[in-house]
Amino acid sequence: MPDENADNEDLAEELIAALEAADEAPLVITARVDRAVSDMATAHFRGRRSTWRRPTGWAALAASVALVAVLVVQFGSPVFEDETSLYADVDGSGRIDIADVLAVARTEGSRVSQAELDAFAMRVVALDAGAS
Amino acid sequence: MARVRRRDPRSDEALVQTCNEGDAAQAAQAFEALYLRHKDYVLRIALRFVPDTDTALDVLQETFAYLLRRFPPTGEGLVLTAKLTSLLYPVAKNTAITALRKAGRFPSGDQEPDDLPGVEGAEPAGDTGDIRKALADLPSGQREVLQLRFVDDLSLQEVADVLDIPLGTVKSRLHLGIARLRSSDFAKRLLGE
Repeated sequence: MPDENADNEDLAEELIAALEAADEAPLVITARVDRAVSDMATAHFRGRRSTWRRPTGWAALAASVALVAVLVVQFGSPVFEDETSLYADVDGSGRIDIADVLAVARTEGSRVSQAELDAFAMRVVALDAGAS
Repeated sequence: MARVRRRDPRSDEALVQTCNEGDAAQAAQAFEALYLRHKDYVLRIALRFVPDTDTALDVLQETFAYLLRRFPPTGEGLVLTAKLTSLLYPVAKNTAITALRKAGRFPSGDQEPDDLPGVEGAEPAGDTGDIRKALADLPSGQREVLQLRFVDDLSLQEVADVLDIPLGTVKSRLHLGIARLRSSDFAKRLLGE
């Protein structure tokens, strides 16, 4: 079976070297040509939807927004359970405790009845007892 | 791309894959790496067929524009089953032939001309000019096979694949091309025969 590349031996090294020398390209590819191809590539791929990175980024962002929303709703502002309730984090300590009851007693003393303060205090005490 | 940049260590296959599936920035960077790696090769191929560097530079850009269109969003993507140069060669060649047709160097038509004119270069000088003349005197089919085999270092089967011709045709063209080149005045002088 003949060697597929047998003909390779038939050309002298000097001739191969001459062929290679004649084929050398002149240094004519300028930065302008490079830039044109680069711009072409950038424009071509610009419209492409990203693969895993952007969806993951959007998902993470959406999850973060949802988490912040939940935190704000739950803990972000000291709101009363309803308009008549005193039950709230009045002193902004991050928890509702007896200090809030005292704060209400000091600042709202003229407009809050003792019964309401007692009710507030009872809820706080009941909550603390449940937690412990 | 004008700034000096390190050669991208990734293989052609990996870069093509990134062009197929990467995000916009990744794909553009991968394509640039392919361009930087193969631009000189494509220019050399172009200059085998067209007589001036301006046209060759147009062929260079057109060849990479064609490659770019193979990738999404305009193309289906590219699967390399052989060397990337095996794809670039026929694209550069056909683009060069189209450029020659536009310049009116031979009649238009769908088929490749039977015999493309050889390119001696604008300023042949010394031995380089002599070998170019010897090459230009060869029939284009023989010249092309000689260059693919001995300059581009392709195997005979790769030459057959690139040119889309039977292996036997490659062998016969190579045989005839070698014989004819050896009988040239340039070769006789070079080899002292």
